[in-house]
Amino acid sequence: MSIFWKMIKVSLRVNFGISVLKYRFTREKKKLWEPILIGISALLGLGFFTAMSTLIMIVLYKGASQPQVGSPELVLTFAFLAGQLVIFFFGIFYIISSFYFSKDMNILVPLPLKPYHILGSKFVVVMVNEYLTLIPFLIPAIIIYGCGTSQGIVYWLKALLLFITSPAIPLIIAALFDVVIMRFINLRKSRDLLAIIGGLFGLFLALGINFLAQSIPKNAGMNTLTSFAADKAHIIESIGKNFPPSIWATFSLSKNGFAGIGYLLLFIGVAIVLFLLLLKLADLVFFKAVLAGQESIKKKKAMSREKREALYSQSSSTVRAIFKREWKLLFRTPVFAMNCLAGMLVGPIFAVMPMLAKNSNMKFLTDIISNKANAMPASLAALGLMLFSASMNMVSSTSVSREGNMFWISKLIPVSAEEQIKGKLIHSILITLIGVIVTGVVLILMFHLSFIRVLVIMILGIIGTVPMSIYGLLIDLSHPKLVWTNPQEAVKSNLNGILGMAASLLIIGILAVVSILIVTSHFQDWFCYLAIGVIMVVISIPGYYGLINTAKRKYFTIEV
Amino acid sequence: MIEISNISKSYSKGEIKAVDNLSLKVNRGEIFGFLGPNGAGKTTTIKMIVGLLNPDQGSITVNGLDIRHQMLQAKKCMGYAPDNPDVYEKLTGIEYLNFIADVYDVPLKERRERMEYFLDMFGLTDAAPDLIKSYSHGMKQKIVLTGALIHNPELWILDEPMVGLDPKSAFQLKELMRKHCDNGNTVFFSTHIMEVAEKLCDRIGIINKGKLVAIGTLDELKKKEHAESLENIFLELTE
Repeated sequence: MSIFWKMIKVSLRVNFGISVLKYRFTREKKKLWEPILIGISALLGLGFFTAMSTLIMIVLYKGASQPQVGSPELVLTFAFLAGQLVIFFFGIFYIISSFYFSKDMNILVPLPLKPYHILGSKFVVVMVNEYLTLIPFLIPAIIIYGCGTSQGIVYWLKALLLFITSPAIPLIIAALFDVVIMRFINLRKSRDLLAIIGGLFGLFLALGINFLAQSIPKNAGMNTLTSFAADKAHIIESIGKNFPPSIWATFSLSKNGFAGIGYLLLFIGVAIVLFLLLLKLADLVFFKAVLAGQESIKKKKAMSREKREALYSQSSSTVRAIFKREWKLLFRTPVFAMNCLAGMLVGPIFAVMPMLAKNSNMKFLTDIISNKANAMPASLAALGLMLFSASMNMVSSTSVSREGNMFWISKLIPVSAEEQIKGKLIHSILITLIGVIVTGVVLILMFHLSFIRVLVIMILGIIGTVPMSIYGLLIDLSHPKLVWTNPQEAVKSNLNGILGMAASLLIIGILAVVSILIVTSHFQDWFCYLAIGVIMVVISIPGYYGLINTAKRKYFTIEV
Repeated sequence: MIEISNISKSYSKGEIKAVDNLSLKVNRGEIFGFLGPNGAGKTTTIKMIVGLLNPDQGSITVNGLDIRHQMLQAKKCMGYAPDNPDVYEKLTGIEYLNFIADVYDVPLKERRERMEYFLDMFGLTDAAPDLIKSYSHGMKQKIVLTGALIHNPELWILDEPMVGLDPKSAFQLKELMRKHCDNGNTVFFSTHIMEVAEKLCDRIGIINKGKLVAIGTLDELKKKEHAESLENIFLELTE
């Protein structure tokens, strides 16, 4: 087997943890539930996106099949275009991180390998990862068009080949762009900035899809929807022309006989030629950029004594010291900050979207809320939204896991487990408050609630963050994921994050049921608010004692 | 200063016995060198002394305090530097030291003096306001050592402290260890460098396959094992 194939095999093993899985299946069976649960969660998430995309594709297919358009294959163009554009943009960040920032470069560069061995094998790993991204785009479109136009076996074979090769062209273009950029600009120092840009791009993509979904007329029959899609069809066609691979992929599936196969060969051929070009370029410039990034050039002026002295500071308590550490580490690690905070901000933005899209439902909703008779249920709904937005964070439920192999410091310092966990809890509550306050402000602007009601639901929202943070922290403390090499693993592939959100949603659910019971029983408003506040406190008390006791036990038994 | 009585520690459900019924005593005012081949149980023993690992059996007291039941008081009189300097890379050197000084409750005046002293000694003064992420391995080792000593603990526990240090810093650390013990304090450290152990240690313990195979002053060991150098003794006992 050539070195190149061996490199690909090893890279795939490392990336997908195949050796770890093997070990779990044969030796460490107790921990087998972890990858299985993560797999199920991933499938559910993927299933959700695929279902959403299927709905859009069906509308588009019907729209494009209308007589005035007459091009049902536009659904394929749209799917290939959207999938490949997403892969291209994410690929730019993914590839820089994989080619230039990964820790294994220090091991690989000194080995007697050619640059293209390393770059090529890393590229294959990125490409395999991108299949998951492509599934929600391509699979529904291929199936809808294939079934809708009653295609034969050749269509499905061509579709399979196109699916396998689809990530190649956008990823190679992204890689060529990165390799050239990195040769001339050392982005190593801007690594954190890149992570933020990448994260923001993901956020804007989600917002864009939501905006698109909001702009589709609601309560309309299929006919209205399909004519809406028919109107948009020419836009897809004209964008597609600027990115020919999506047109080639479409023609290879929509045209029969040699023409279809010809377009397929063109699609695959261009991918191969571009890949060879990338490998050639790798031999010329890859190592130069990798090594240039590793040189440290640090020569700066000595700091004056006065300036230095100002840096020595003292915290008033150990809890405060722990809080400050947590605060700095969260905000200075972009992966942590993005994953822990973005969800909370997406909630209120999604709430504002319908307003921007000038949805008619919105007016109906604001009319109901503006009616004074509905002020009580409206304020409770606003509270629910505030708490829901606050629940979309993983600050507390990954708080211990985020320490990773630095947990030895927490074990070592002469600070009781109780004080350490208090520092973490205060930190989690304050961050979660961001979600409550931002949503609160948005809702105040949207629904003209009275000042008193706003004040009351704000206070209740603030109290509500306490049980959510307590139970999130308790979940993470019970089974912290301390073994990780990349900070992403501590948040993105940490089951505690999802369980923490589920616990918060459960708390919101309990509060919702109680609220409905109280409102329908026609108690006075102040009693309703008080009862909800009391329930929040009552839920928090056993959680808090459970958390402190678990901390005392776990800080002793966790070994590092 | 340290009293270890019959401690054992196993991994993988008892399949691997890292430390096997080990007992030893480290006296106040001495530099104690802990030697042993890779995987002998040095780091496991050290981690049990500082409370990072819990012994399966046996007891450890530090300065008369049981580390299981009087953990916080015991920790306050120890300063520990691990063999691998994994520290918060997203804090600056100064922030890390301030954090450690905060949790050990070091007053502002004292922390300022000690930080100035150690940062200057290790040549880190200019790098201290930078993120630890930008430090080399040796610089990280130095910042961890500074953090371990910032509260002026009576007992220093250092796991291979010379690894990653440049010759000047290693020399200064050795001088500091000697001075610390001359003032009536104690140093317990592990090393693979025989010359360092020979020149610096008042007493030496050698561990092999989790068991203590020799303990005593260099002269006592030489006499007992009929060997001329520590290297010969080590090779003979750890075969």
